[in-house]
Amino acid sequence: MMRRPVEAIRRAYTALVRSPYVAITGTGTIFVAVLSIGLVAAGLGTAERLLGAWAGEVRLSVYLARGADLPTVGAAVAALAPGRAVEEVPAAEGLRRLAQSLGDEASLLDGVGADALPDCVEVAVPGIALGEAKALSRRLRAVPGVAEVDYGTAWLERLERFLDRARAAGLGLLLVLGLATAVLVSNTLRLAVYARREEIEIMKLVGATDAFVGAPFLVEGVLQGALAGGLAAATLLGLQAALLPRLAAAFGPFAALAPGAMLPWPLLLGVVGGGAAIGLLASALAIFRFLRR
Amino acid sequence: MIQLFHVTKEYPGEPPALADVTLHVTKGEFVFLTGPSGAGKSTLLKLIFCAEAPTSGQLLLFGRNVARVSPGEIPWVRRHIGVVFQDFKLLPERTIGENVALPLEVRSLPRREIRRKVLGLLRSVGLEHRAEKFPPSLSGGEQQRVAVARALAADPALLLADEPTGNLDADRTLEVMELLAAANARGTTVVIATHDRSLLQRYTRRVVALERGRLVSDGDSIRQAGANP
Repeated sequence: MMRRPVEAIRRAYTALVRSPYVAITGTGTIFVAVLSIGLVAAGLGTAERLLGAWAGEVRLSVYLARGADLPTVGAAVAALAPGRAVEEVPAAEGLRRLAQSLGDEASLLDGVGADALPDCVEVAVPGIALGEAKALSRRLRAVPGVAEVDYGTAWLERLERFLDRARAAGLGLLLVLGLATAVLVSNTLRLAVYARREEIEIMKLVGATDAFVGAPFLVEGVLQGALAGGLAAATLLGLQAALLPRLAAAFGPFAALAPGAMLPWPLLLGVVGGGAAIGLLASALAIFRFLRR
Repeated sequence: MIQLFHVTKEYPGEPPALADVTLHVTKGEFVFLTGPSGAGKSTLLKLIFCAEAPTSGQLLLFGRNVARVSPGEIPWVRRHIGVVFQDFKLLPERTIGENVALPLEVRSLPRREIRRKVLGLLRSVGLEHRAEKFPPSLSGGEQQRVAVARALAADPALLLADEPTGNLDADRTLEVMELLAAANARGTTVVIATHDRSLLQRYTRRVVALERGRLVSDGDSIRQAGANP
């Protein structure tokens, strides 16, 4: 029984060598399909990571009531937000930061006293989800001495909605691309099967079972798909190496991405494995549709 | 070996390819199936080979009713049958040896045994020196001898040949017929579809004649030749 898989691989290899143009066409089709899917997945993943990094700048501002003790409230806030960076910002420091952020327009604040702003405790909440931000805000508002908590509801909600839609659109796009790919590759591999119809007919004539006839086609599909996936992964890595420095130079947020962040290894493995899976699925569809005729 | 009981085969919109044919072929027989083009010879072989199913009637092969043979079992039935065609049906991109090895590969025999059997078969048809050549480089007679070697590779109980000498000249025809006769002498049942009357005159064998799908006579070749000069 162990000989059969080896024999199927040997026959698949022989068929690939004997019909290189058919094999190149099949591999090329899978390559284009997997590369397209890889590009979309990498683009979506990068967009999500950029947006995540942007969301990482979210800070909750806890404004104190007049007369409240800043260190006491700061300690209470830190206890309610474990693991988060908590910073006490006295009113004077708050005013200085505001003036700094106004830049040339800082003169607008001339005559404004330090007591114009309340003391504040700032909590850094990188990557926090909207619901989590709301719950934390409610808990912080209940701390004695807290007058108001601002967590930038409007833009955080917009960001959350945008990310949800981007994820849904990305999944939909990948699904459509996956289906289109399976049909396209299956049709291409059907041509390969059709080109060998005489061989299949003769095989069946001499008593070959469908499994015997089909096995090398499945092996070929996996080999072509894995090769196409490998080439697509290499192409994606090449594109990343070429594009990331340019994108980082042109757009600030890209500079914050770690090297290789556009193509994490699970995505690259997915491209290679996905190529092999598409090759297997498409060749199974092609050969068994042909054998069922 | 082969039993047909009132077998009819019809294709939509056409007169019956076979009509009410009853025929028995016993183990070890050598039978010519003859008749003009369109008589139903090839259709009959296709039924025996399980490439088609009868429209009505019963066909028993090796004692089994083929109507009860599932599609998954057909390859196992075919492993008892060797087939030779007029157009040889050799794979042009495979060597002669590889073509002959096909039925043995299908049976997953060890490669060493396949090599040994293939060489023996090619020797028996006088082509052992051509094992590494490709079919297009061989003459028609040589290609048909390869096809016969392939058909006999797995020692089938039954050998079907559809116009095996249709593309060959007289000398090559004799060579191929001698191979088929030798297989029959070793115990293989042989059924040959042919419209070549010279074969019927040369070989004193059972001749089953078909016309327009009907079995019109069944006897030995001398009587047939005498009855239909």
